[in-house]
Amino acid sequence: MYEPKIVAFFCNWCTYTGADLAGVSRMQYAPNVRIIRVMCSGRVDPELVMKAFAEGADGVLIGGCHPGDCHYQSGNHKTFRRYKFLKAILPQYGLDPERLHLEWISASEGDKVRDTVNSFTEKIRNLGPSTVRETLNALRTEEVSHG
Amino acid sequence: MAEKPWVAFYWCGSCGGCEEAVVDLAEKILDVVNAVNIGFWPVALDFKKSDVEEKPDGFFAVSFINGTIESDEHREMVELLRRKSGLVVAFGSCSHMGGIPSLRNLYDVNDCVDYAYRKTVSTVNPEGTIPLPRYKHPSGHETTTMNLEPTGKALDQVIDVDYYLPGCSVPKHLILDAVMAILSGNLPPKGSVLSPSKALCSVCPRQETKPEKMQIKDIKRHHLSEDDGTCFNAQGMICMGPATRSGCGDPAKDNAPRCILVNMPCHGCFGPPDGTLDQGMAMLSAIASGLDYTPDEEAEIDRIIKKIGDLAGTFYMFSTAKSLIHGRPAGEGVKKPVEVPKEGGA
Amino acid sequence: MSEKGNGKLPRIGVYICHCGLNIANVVDVEAVAEFAGKLPGVVVAKAYKYMCSDPGLEMIKADIKEQNLERVVVASCSPLLHEQTFRRAIQEGGILNPYLYTHVNIREHVSWVHASEPAKATEKAKALVAAAVRRVSAHKPLERKRVDVNPDVLVLGGGIAGIQASLVLADSGKKVYLVEREPSIGGHMAKFDKTFPTLDCAACILTPKMAQVGNHPNIELLTYSELKEIEGYVGNFKAKVLKKSRHLYLEKCTACGECAKVCPVEIPSAFDENLAKRKATYRPFPQAVPNKFVIERLGYPPCQAACPIHQNAYGYMMMVKEGKFAEALEVVLRDNPLPSLCGWVCTHPCTDTCTRGKVDAPLNMPGIKRFIADHAGDFALPMPKDFKENGKKVAVIGGGPAGLTAAYELRKRGYQVTIYEAAGTLGGMPAITIPDYRLPKDVLKKDTDRIAATGIEVRLNTALGKDVSLSEITKQYSAVFIAVGASKNRRLGVPGEDNSWVLPGLEFLGRVNSGERPNLGRRVVVIGGGLVAVDAARTAVRLGANVTLVCIESWEEMFARRTSEGQKEVEQMKAEGVEVLTRWGPKEFKSGGIELKSVIRVFDESGRFSPQYDETKTRFLECDTAIVAIGQAPDSDLFKSQGLSVTSWGGLDVDPVTLQTNIENVFAGGDVLGPDVVVTAMMAGKKAAESIDRFLNGRDLYEGRELEGPFEGVARPMDLERVERKPAIRMPEREPSVRIKDFADVHSTYSPEDAQKEASRCLMCSICCDCQLCKPACPVEGCIDYSIPDEEIELNVGAVVVATGFKIFDPKRIPSYGYGKYPEVYTSLEIERLVNSSGPTEGKLVMKNGQPPKSVAIVHCVGSRDKNYNEYCSRVCCMYSLKLAHLVHERTGAEVYNFYIDMRTPGKGYEEFYHKLLDEGIHFIRGRVAEITDWAIEPSEKGKLVVRVEDTMAGMVRRIPVDMVILSVGLEPQPDAQDIRRLLKLSCSSEGFFLERHPKLAPVSTVTAGIYIAGACQGPKDIPDTVAQAGAAAGEVLAMVDRGYIELEPIKAHIDAEDCSGCKMCNGLCPYDAITYDKERKVSEINEVLCEGCGTCVAACPSGAIDQDLFENQELLYEIEGVLKYV
Repeated sequence: MYEPKIVAFFCNWCTYTGADLAGVSRMQYAPNVRIIRVMCSGRVDPELVMKAFAEGADGVLIGGCHPGDCHYQSGNHKTFRRYKFLKAILPQYGLDPERLHLEWISASEGDKVRDTVNSFTEKIRNLGPSTVRETLNALRTEEVSHG
Repeated sequence: MAEKPWVAFYWCGSCGGCEEAVVDLAEKILDVVNAVNIGFWPVALDFKKSDVEEKPDGFFAVSFINGTIESDEHREMVELLRRKSGLVVAFGSCSHMGGIPSLRNLYDVNDCVDYAYRKTVSTVNPEGTIPLPRYKHPSGHETTTMNLEPTGKALDQVIDVDYYLPGCSVPKHLILDAVMAILSGNLPPKGSVLSPSKALCSVCPRQETKPEKMQIKDIKRHHLSEDDGTCFNAQGMICMGPATRSGCGDPAKDNAPRCILVNMPCHGCFGPPDGTLDQGMAMLSAIASGLDYTPDEEAEIDRIIKKIGDLAGTFYMFSTAKSLIHGRPAGEGVKKPVEVPKEGGA
Repeated sequence: MSEKGNGKLPRIGVYICHCGLNIANVVDVEAVAEFAGKLPGVVVAKAYKYMCSDPGLEMIKADIKEQNLERVVVASCSPLLHEQTFRRAIQEGGILNPYLYTHVNIREHVSWVHASEPAKATEKAKALVAAAVRRVSAHKPLERKRVDVNPDVLVLGGGIAGIQASLVLADSGKKVYLVEREPSIGGHMAKFDKTFPTLDCAACILTPKMAQVGNHPNIELLTYSELKEIEGYVGNFKAKVLKKSRHLYLEKCTACGECAKVCPVEIPSAFDENLAKRKATYRPFPQAVPNKFVIERLGYPPCQAACPIHQNAYGYMMMVKEGKFAEALEVVLRDNPLPSLCGWVCTHPCTDTCTRGKVDAPLNMPGIKRFIADHAGDFALPMPKDFKENGKKVAVIGGGPAGLTAAYELRKRGYQVTIYEAAGTLGGMPAITIPDYRLPKDVLKKDTDRIAATGIEVRLNTALGKDVSLSEITKQYSAVFIAVGASKNRRLGVPGEDNSWVLPGLEFLGRVNSGERPNLGRRVVVIGGGLVAVDAARTAVRLGANVTLVCIESWEEMFARRTSEGQKEVEQMKAEGVEVLTRWGPKEFKSGGIELKSVIRVFDESGRFSPQYDETKTRFLECDTAIVAIGQAPDSDLFKSQGLSVTSWGGLDVDPVTLQTNIENVFAGGDVLGPDVVVTAMMAGKKAAESIDRFLNGRDLYEGRELEGPFEGVARPMDLERVERKPAIRMPEREPSVRIKDFADVHSTYSPEDAQKEASRCLMCSICCDCQLCKPACPVEGCIDYSIPDEEIELNVGAVVVATGFKIFDPKRIPSYGYGKYPEVYTSLEIERLVNSSGPTEGKLVMKNGQPPKSVAIVHCVGSRDKNYNEYCSRVCCMYSLKLAHLVHERTGAEVYNFYIDMRTPGKGYEEFYHKLLDEGIHFIRGRVAEITDWAIEPSEKGKLVVRVEDTMAGMVRRIPVDMVILSVGLEPQPDAQDIRRLLKLSCSSEGFFLERHPKLAPVSTVTAGIYIAGACQGPKDIPDTVAQAGAAAGEVLAMVDRGYIELEPIKAHIDAEDCSGCKMCNGLCPYDAITYDKERKVSEINEVLCEGCGTCVAACPSGAIDQDLFENQELLYEIEGVLKYV
């Protein structure tokens, strides 16, 4: 049975710290999410999200401070807008928009980290594996063979 | 004087505009013709595939190949030309980045054929016939056409490419510069795009009209709105300039971008600057970031998105094949692409 | 962003930490190390027990040298813990730049959260390590930027924590700004009597420290102040602090207390836990620091706000309550030159907004105002001390309320005022039409005479347009105010209206008022639903007719009933036998009566007045006389004839703010704009006077007039359920049967006693009532100044210590404990005050009945250790409960029962204290109290509070009757802790206490560099711990500040001018405005001092010109590749 690979971009101040809290509190959750730390969710460039899909991520999770609580005042506002745009363009690329998820998680919400990771992992499990990587591999081999 | 170098021109999935571009060199073409021998140019002169096959490998000093790689035929030809050429230059947006034809990567190839041969308003095809790769006539005579690739590809996604001449189509001055550079042999590093990397705004006549801060409150559709002569993005008309390399502008007209000169926003045919990985995402991010709305104004953001309508078509008009995920992955969840309103709700 | 081709890979060392068993128990660390060893570029990969231990660090350093490593990756705990440790190590190694390093979190993010899935956990660990290895190859050497640190410190909160921190910092020579929102520092500790376990008195150890703070040359004390904003970064914060006005000058106040003596306002004292009262002018407690008073004004009294002329009703209520009737009059006259007129007939919008109205019944403000005027008898209107004639002449046309008010206001400003009045007497509409039983002539005359007596020329029987024209007047006067009212009767426009037996309301009232007594016959019908109709009806009754009042409105819509005053009128009218017929309108006046048609609706959907009738549904009403009182209209023809422009519906066309007409020096107001009530007319008079004064002195007519006219007031926060009900005291009212026989007054005025009783019902909405008694009482010249505004000051500091403390749990949330229901149930803090010698009972612990309790129950863990309220233990309750038990027992000899779940007495001398109490014969019953009730089963329980509890030692349910119950309430975060958190960008634990950077290793620092926390705002703790933590916080601050600089993480964003096309997409995105556009070079630039390193601009740059140190595009792209590529 397939295990989803999920890349998560967590902001340093809220969600990443929240994930630490979940650890300190020994909360147990699905091991499918691999966290990449950024200072602010505002750093999450849509190119990074697409890169993750291109590299074979079955889902991408973005975690930031709650609106109004952003350590950098409004970084998460931009994140949200980009997220909305991504959600809109993914289906055009034939990708299920459900594969991308944004959640506001504060440093005190270890339980929310657990619940979000679990529910998102389940969702991705049900969506099945993403085939982006394979499709691209086809191209890559050609590139290599001629490279 | 040594023998003039041999040159090949070839087109793949192409509108012919790039061929036109060469012809448009007008009297300047004579300089080219004087400088080189044209050994293959199916569009203009009567050449056959065999004319290339019989040449020794590396015979051609350079092949200029335009158009998107759409079929096994294209594959076959460009692989052949690759072998027979010292240099391969991807000529024009399509071979550079997939171009407009590669927008079909957003759809299932069979849907595309079905649409093209059966559904377009201009189609009259009561039997619903569609071309077959192979057809055996009762008489026993067999004809083959070609197999469509599942996705349209940029040239370098099929063969190794030495240089890129960007643009839809490639402007004269770039062609001449390229040819002269090749002849004179002083060439930039392999893999270079033969136009300045700095984005379009740097040479845009409207650059001075940009406000201190780009805050976009609304999106306007260019053909439905009045243009006040200032920066298009500032007006809310999406202009790809910030994510598109410069060079389209005629040096004689201080390099002013050609679309802007005729009051059209840039559509990005020159592709991204060297610094940009994915032209469409880069511009999407810039526009989204610039919107002046907070998360509790989600409705406003949705309205804007609806108004843009075809996001991929807007941000990836020329670069779908080179986008990070290249196109619709086989067998991915969402089968049909979402319907996008023709006028994007404007 | 772009992918740069990777050339030769650097030599990488990878180190996996067991963290004892923390990681190794779940993750197969050896397997991870082996896997890492095979990754491209990796030359060393080891696992070790404790990477962060010295041997661990030495191992890395050694490898760097021997294997000449170029990059290091350590996989262990969260980077927030040990990233710095390892960076420092490889730097000490002397060879490597600390940023050629990547930290992998395989404890908090792997082993601790996937304990049950070792295989998958190991896989994840591998992926994360692979990501780091790929990432680190792209790392570049980076330098930390040094920034100078401002040595000044901001301390938030003046409790014991804030005091301690401030003193430590100040003693070491640092400038400290101590901000406290209360008028005095001291916090909760100042309320305590004794402190456990030593039982030394809190005041004795606290007040000297408070005094020290007050006198310290390095401490700037900002009491009664609040932090509003803070920006900047560690070492260089800019804070905005709001200094609320004390309405007196701190340096001048000698704390003599004379002001408080005369202050009429008494509200519960928060410092005494509302067990005692304090004045509006007060100081929280005698040892307050600074030892100064504050005149506390909160919000704006709804009554005064609702009044068009902002009559200070609250003020005169307080004066009357105090029996200071003369002062009451002064207060009234400050805003209102027509006290009697208003007292008798004003509709008093104030009463409709009275907060008391939400409790039982609004105060009778008209009655009280009338009482004040009646009681004063003869008096003159006040004129300014510095009154000076300014020689300018102003004409006021119309001697009604608007005209009179304007005249007086102008006179006070020194103008020569002439009033032109068409009638033979001053007073306008009230004089002509309001019947005597509502407003006796002589009463009104007193008011008008007083105004005339201020030196105003009055020309009676001089009508505008008839006897004098506007142009003539404008020739003689610099400015004119027109207030001729609305004298025209509105007509119904139905057949038969001109019959002789159909009388216009105003005309009828006028005749009766001038002494006529027309014979109306037996049956009279009054048509109209407004106050004039009511007047007409009641007058007709007094002329001996039985009267029916017909109005098109329904009972609810009835115009007269729109104000509570009007409702009284209508009630009285009905009491006098007038029958009311609603939702009928006249169709035709036929011989012998009126044909009425039924009303479908009066107002349309948008609430506009547009009646519709059902012409088919009619009824006939016999009558001898009909009086039509459907309202009046301004005389628009008159205005037109005088060259004044008129609105579509016939009123004068004036600027709503300035009342200026189309003629620039002519102003107009009152009923000329459309009929309205007396007090609205008076407002017009005031506004006009102000406008005319501005106009004639060439000042701006509009500026700063927002608060003119009614607005919504704000009452201080009050728990209205808990307000004691006090029924309204009614004015004596004559029997209807008696009063309809004459035109004499319906009421008689309040007796002084009743007036005081009624006035004492006031809820004192805005604390200070602006009676202005304290100013004269103050012995220091110019100390009190009511006009001192709130002030916002800006402070530049390098560090902030947050010591905002706690609030106690509100036991009302546990109904079964009966707090607020049974008077003898107290919170522990209330008892602290009761046993405190400076408390409300001078330290005598007595019940509400004054008797000392014979038995007392102390209930532990109220609101603590309880999933329904707070799960955490409040730490201090056991000990303070023991302390209170001891004090109660000692002071009263009462039997004391402690109801506890577990006794928690860790700490020096704490356990010993517990044992001491056991010996003192205090009862300890183990079990959570189920309920406290006054329901007696045994006779012995009669009149007592019964504590029901399961005694888990005896294993039985017990009922223990006691006289008094003390609830040991837990500690909670301050209600506004979240605001502070947002302001300072802190994090909070799920309970809402501020989150420290590390529970063990960084207990007083926070995630925001330069901001430290101390005391109970970080979590419940007792005084010793608080003081210790405050000292620690101060120490951390000193460590940072004394170095003189701080090093900023090199995470700044920067723009490559080569790639920047100047598209300006990024400029608007920076929350710190760090991005500017360089016109010369046509590129944008980032000011790296302002940049905080969020990377938002990096993600937005469409041409990949912006990048961020340590979070470079290349680094992140590699990390993504790495994390997905291998496992």
